[in-house]
Amino acid sequence: MNEYQGHLHFVANNTLTLDKGPSAVVETLPNPADQLGHKHPPVAQPSWKEIAPKLESPEVKLRIADMLSRYPQAQGALLEVLWIAQEALGWVPREAIRWAAGVCGCSPAHAFGVATFYTMYKHAPTGRFLLQFCRNISCHVMGAPDVIGYTEKTLNIKTGGTTPDGLFTLVQVECLGACGNGPVMLVNDEFATDVENGKLTLKPGVGLTPERIDKILKWCYAREAEFKVEPSRDALGGVVNGHKGHSGAPGASAKSQVADYAPPCPILGVKAVASEAGVTLTWKGAPEFTQIAVERLEGSSWKSIGAPGLKDKEFIDATGKAGSEYRMIATSGARVAKPSAVAKAIEKAG
Amino acid sequence: MPHLPSSSSPLVTIKVDGKDVQVPGDTNLLEALQAVGIETPHICYHPYLPVSGNCRQCLVEVEGPRGMGLVISCYTPVKAGMVVATPASSQRVKSTRKAVSEFMLVNHPLDCPICDKAGECTLQKNYMEAGQNESRLRGEVGKHYHGNPDNEFVDSKGQTRGGKRVDLGPRVLLDEERCVQCDRCVRFMRHVAGDEQLQLAARSDHTYITTFPGEKLDHEYDLCVTDICPTGALTGKYFRFQQRVWMLSRTPSVSMDDSLGANIWIDHNEGHVWRLMPRCNPEVNRSWLSNTSRLAFEKFAENRLPASDIESVKLALQTQGKVALVAGGECTLEDIVALKMLKASLGDRAEIFVGSFRPVVAADGIAKSGDPVANRAGFKLLGLAADNLADLVKRASEFNTLMTINNDLWGDDANQAKALEGIENRITLAAFNTETAHKANVVFGVNHWSEVTGTMVNCNGILQKLSAAPTAPDAELIPTFQALSIFAGTPITEALEAFKVASKEVPVLLGLSYETIRSTGAKLDGVQA
Amino acid sequence: MAETVKVCTGNFGKGAQDIAVYRKLGGYANISSRLFDLSQFETIDIVQRSGLRGRGGAGFPTGMKWSFVPRGTGKPVYIVVNADEGEGGTFKDHRLMLEDPHRLIEGLIIAAWALGARSAYIYVRGEFLPSIETLNKALNEAYAEHLLGENIGGTAFSFDIFVHRGAGAYICGEETALINSLEGQKGQPRLKPPFPAVNGAWQLPTCVNNVETLMALPWIFEHSPEAYAAMGTPRSNGTKVFCVSGNVKKPGVYEAPLGIPLMEMLTSSEYAGGIEGTLKGVVPGGSSTPVLLPSECEKAILDYESLAALKTMLGSGAIIAFNEKCDVVQLLGVLGNFYTHESCGQCTPCREGTGFANRVMHALLRGEGHDGDLELLLSIADQYNGTTICPLAPALGMPITAFISKYRSEFEAYIAKNPNHASPRVNATIRPGAFW
Repeated sequence: MNEYQGHLHFVANNTLTLDKGPSAVVETLPNPADQLGHKHPPVAQPSWKEIAPKLESPEVKLRIADMLSRYPQAQGALLEVLWIAQEALGWVPREAIRWAAGVCGCSPAHAFGVATFYTMYKHAPTGRFLLQFCRNISCHVMGAPDVIGYTEKTLNIKTGGTTPDGLFTLVQVECLGACGNGPVMLVNDEFATDVENGKLTLKPGVGLTPERIDKILKWCYAREAEFKVEPSRDALGGVVNGHKGHSGAPGASAKSQVADYAPPCPILGVKAVASEAGVTLTWKGAPEFTQIAVERLEGSSWKSIGAPGLKDKEFIDATGKAGSEYRMIATSGARVAKPSAVAKAIEKAG
Repeated sequence: MPHLPSSSSPLVTIKVDGKDVQVPGDTNLLEALQAVGIETPHICYHPYLPVSGNCRQCLVEVEGPRGMGLVISCYTPVKAGMVVATPASSQRVKSTRKAVSEFMLVNHPLDCPICDKAGECTLQKNYMEAGQNESRLRGEVGKHYHGNPDNEFVDSKGQTRGGKRVDLGPRVLLDEERCVQCDRCVRFMRHVAGDEQLQLAARSDHTYITTFPGEKLDHEYDLCVTDICPTGALTGKYFRFQQRVWMLSRTPSVSMDDSLGANIWIDHNEGHVWRLMPRCNPEVNRSWLSNTSRLAFEKFAENRLPASDIESVKLALQTQGKVALVAGGECTLEDIVALKMLKASLGDRAEIFVGSFRPVVAADGIAKSGDPVANRAGFKLLGLAADNLADLVKRASEFNTLMTINNDLWGDDANQAKALEGIENRITLAAFNTETAHKANVVFGVNHWSEVTGTMVNCNGILQKLSAAPTAPDAELIPTFQALSIFAGTPITEALEAFKVASKEVPVLLGLSYETIRSTGAKLDGVQA
Repeated sequence: MAETVKVCTGNFGKGAQDIAVYRKLGGYANISSRLFDLSQFETIDIVQRSGLRGRGGAGFPTGMKWSFVPRGTGKPVYIVVNADEGEGGTFKDHRLMLEDPHRLIEGLIIAAWALGARSAYIYVRGEFLPSIETLNKALNEAYAEHLLGENIGGTAFSFDIFVHRGAGAYICGEETALINSLEGQKGQPRLKPPFPAVNGAWQLPTCVNNVETLMALPWIFEHSPEAYAAMGTPRSNGTKVFCVSGNVKKPGVYEAPLGIPLMEMLTSSEYAGGIEGTLKGVVPGGSSTPVLLPSECEKAILDYESLAALKTMLGSGAIIAFNEKCDVVQLLGVLGNFYTHESCGQCTPCREGTGFANRVMHALLRGEGHDGDLELLLSIADQYNGTTICPLAPALGMPITAFISKYRSEFEAYIAKNPNHASPRVNATIRPGAFW
């Protein structure tokens, strides 16, 4: 024991001093978790070599190039790249997270933080059919606990468990955003409250019942008999063709937005009110205006009568009177806008 | 990074608790209140880290368009005329701080007596200031300790616990339960160290600090995370359970292994140094200290040279022929003054050489300049060539006597030092029994820099003060300047005396004394390394 | 009575997922000179005149939000569509995207024209993979017809839409958390200010809008802002898509003008068609809004101001009705689980506080309740207010306060199940400072 090393230096008046300098670095003690037993034994993680063929396939590379071209910084694609990894491997092992970090140019620790923050990334393999039951308020009111209890009994597993045949994993999740179908579940990525014509359906107003659970489980068994391996489904909902990415991103050919794509803005909301002081004009100013001009109708032609400042809220035409007609013209940089709507000066109310 | 007040900050008037006070106008409210003596408890805020604002402990009320509203003072910029309420005048601020303190502790283990951070724990301090509520957590309600599910275990009482003494890396241990998710360590590694090795994983009350699984926290500055950790979550292996912190005395000093001169506290008890801690200096090392500088103390008391006979050194210096006095970077200004006295006493046959065989490397931008000659600017200031060791190597045959002063030539680079082996009469003045001491025919042990009072000028021309920690392994040892002055025949016993000699020589030091050099040093005009 | 105008849901059940059908139903009529002749400012002005308010929950005027986005600075502007619908009881965006994806795209083009955005991201929550597939298919069709891409409609205007799949975090519905998530970080809300309109995604101006908000735009531009403003009440203009769930005969998505009485929404055959059993309470705007007792439901009008007067909120328009068979203590326990699970773990009161309240509630549900627990819960709920970065913890605080104050006797009955409910508390004196 380190505490009792060193020689006894001084004993007097019942005080005891130990002369002892800093001891050597304490070797790491066994973790209490190892001594008292882990609550969650860690999952066996595949090595990079085992998963590399699936993550370095040409299809995956193509998808990733598409994703990276969409964001101004590669890190923006991190969630998607993790999705692609999960699609390829069925879950996201540690080495896949490290790979995703490399693809997106962030540190592995950051990617690990992200991958554990979101609940839909699976950090352990699950059964072939992941049954996610909503347990939130609407589904709870509509009887989710009963439906979940029924499924647990039917499959003879608890929430979080996987059936011994590796077919079903049952979990409870928060709101699935299909409350009108409460109680509702997801079978892998498909919403399901019923089966019709051999397809899982989510019809408005139809919620899960024990009978429908039976139908859905039957559908799962039938699918297992039909397909040896679950047909893969694009985790990002399919490829979109035609876009050229985000301007400046790797692999993107998109140009940035042209500054003056839209016509220059006319002045809006011009009002003219006549009083003893003349005619007072008010309008709505836009930040892009660089110059404003006021014109008055004289006979059949418009005559410029002044240019208010950009910060001005009103313009007074001292010679104007009720019935005079005004319009305003704005300039934005080099572009002159079309004239505003004509405002006829009206007598001040009251 | 938050903008910190400085001596050039414009002063603005704000109303705090009904009184007008003048505060620096270019900073956040927390710093501004601190400038006028109002302490605001905080956990996640650190002046040299980007503001994260997650602990919510520093709440104050500020008047806005909808009346007084709660804001976090660390993220609120000071504006002239703002109206602020602290707990001194606002019951609401008082009760919210109490509430946050309660939330902070609700899932935190209350085992301070066996926690290594006790006594310097921010949670404890804040609790005493802002908390003080009776526990409202019943046994039936239970705690939810934070931790990595892989490290979770059930203790003998049936309570699920977070990971204890998780091995984060070669130098740092983590206690997951004690972490309060302030993410200071994450921000340090990301924004200061520039290597995001740590991250908060998972979410809600399952959040825990981790490296990437299987990787270790390993960085030249990784022990800084144990300084900034407000709780006992991150601890340095070297200091764990060595000392209770309230037993330690602190001596402010300067690390003499690098020309930046990182400001440090020497924490000692019973004549032993137990740790070196960074001492905040905004102009120098801020709050950071490299592992090399920090862990150097482990060797301070080892392999020391004993105090030895003065006469034998004097005799050796009488040898015929030229004498090369080779000073190392650890010499303080006072040592240099005494060195010059020695040279004067030896007359023309003595020549002073300064430098190190260790290479100068690039500055890391945190707390190291990369130059191993700590007081290089001091040598220049006192009129000596600051880097002429190569000259000595070339002209080695001219000399008959080599006296090294705090300079381990052979230990630094034995190949280069080989050229000096032709000089037969070798005297070594050093704290440690170094390779150079092995080569010497006369050795003289002196105090280590941690045991002396003195001054040094860092690479940015800041005059900094070293204070003597009472940790010398042998009471007979004397400081270098004293030894040199005795050899010169004009003994100086007090460092201040030597400093006065220096200030007579150098105009920029005029008017300075040990009392007037502030703890953050004194900037010397026009001095550069 | 004239048939109710369907602004967002008009194409439901008509197969409008197909662009040809959508066009036949009048879609994309706005993506023509009708839009291309407008300046940016005029476009925003139309939205401002329509009185459209954000349909995600907060009800902030959309036109005003857009006017905060700096224009003509040369910096890119982003539009981010908030389709991270996760509030308990809300499922309108799910249906809207499944039934009418092209309307969202059309609305986005209008918004992009107004704001000068080059790229938009539709942030869809990870659970909605079928919606993402629908959207991607619609995007492919829109690109094929050159409604998206470069030089749309022969103008200099270019615009791309990307769908971003979330991965399961309710908090990403908060706009700054959503932006963080889009950037590939953890979805944790940012400190404000700066607001996203000025400093959002990648530190650039960003406008975050709800799906339903954007889907109202095509109708507004097709008809007129005044026609939209004429619907609803003077301060809550237009129509709203309500999601009715719980113990009603016909749960579903119904569009109605704002200002419709709550009971009409619940009982009219046009809408939810009546209550199953006896009404015990209604949560009027998503799980975080305070519950209404049946007596209050009689008075409740579905618009922003009237519900605020009843100390509750319209929120996302998610109406959850429950009948006498429902155990409200369990219901609150469900909400406790939800908010504890979905706290992002960033700031202390939410990270530790939601779990604390939840554990107190579950002790109560296990029959281990104690005298004073309700006061403790109310006090914890009060402690969330004003101390957090985002409104997630207060969103648990509100139902706690409302449920306990409105159904107190049921909570007390649970406490009475513990035979030792009045015994003194055991842990009262343990505190960390006591050791020194």
